[in-house]
Amino acid sequence: MKELSLNILDIAENSVKANATLTQIILKEDADTVTLSIIDDGKGMSEEILRGVVDPFYTTRTTRKVGLGLPLLKMAAEQTGGEMKISSKQATDESKEHGTSVTATFNKNHLDFTPLGDVASTIVTLIQGHPDTDFYFEHTYLQNSVNFDSREVRQVLGPEIPLNEYEILEWISNTLEEQYKNLYKV
Amino acid sequence: MTVRQLTEIQGFSPVVLADPEREIKNVYIGDLLSWVMGKAQQDDAWITIMSNVNVLAVATLADTACVILAEGVLLDADVKLTAEQKGVNVISTDKSAYEIAKILAKANE
Repeated sequence: MKELSLNILDIAENSVKANATLTQIILKEDADTVTLSIIDDGKGMSEEILRGVVDPFYTTRTTRKVGLGLPLLKMAAEQTGGEMKISSKQATDESKEHGTSVTATFNKNHLDFTPLGDVASTIVTLIQGHPDTDFYFEHTYLQNSVNFDSREVRQVLGPEIPLNEYEILEWISNTLEEQYKNLYKV
Repeated sequence: MTVRQLTEIQGFSPVVLADPEREIKNVYIGDLLSWVMGKAQQDDAWITIMSNVNVLAVATLADTACVILAEGVLLDADVKLTAEQKGVNVISTDKSAYEIAKILAKANE
């Protein structure tokens, strides 16, 4: 993808489709690397699906439930000398724990590093499209950070107000923008 | 021009000819796969320097006539096998994307 923010949108959409109640999007950045983690508490994948999920034909040949998102994210990471790891757990009789975790590392000084792009807009887009699920977002650069937690907003506003109302989205967008102004100030 | 006719031009060699009689209607050049997926048209000859398995998925989704690997790029054995299995035409050449485009433009006159 042209910007990593579009990859993030694609992967997070998978989480929502997997019935996640909370999707965490975490970017940890320093001078040389970016680590992107997308962690959800959705229904998870079987080991068989997990094995095939980075094979683009596995996903295009079946009902395209997953899409090209993971293969393209893996490629974006690997072309900077980084890597992508994915783990997933389905609920079983013994354990109620379930969900999927995708972690991609990038060497951001590599020429083929895809720029992050407008991550704040991606977060707003996700909330707009899925006002009934929760998103936690964190972007850290050295000691600085940008944070957003839809559960906190919900707590303040009360459960009956949908988060995709115009004024709320506008406020979320502004609060992210304000925090981003200071992220790279060291 | 068909894909087979293209491979008969000097400097072009077939890597996988799954559907040699397929007609090339137009040309698309690009390496950013997500971008190509949205822009390449059916029956295009797609010129790229990318050679991983995702290229084949994009070629299949966009239904291009063939993939032309420019500047001497080749396929790994496992990717070549996938191209055979999925029926994706792949041609390689040492020429640049610009030189390939000129040849295709001339052939279409």
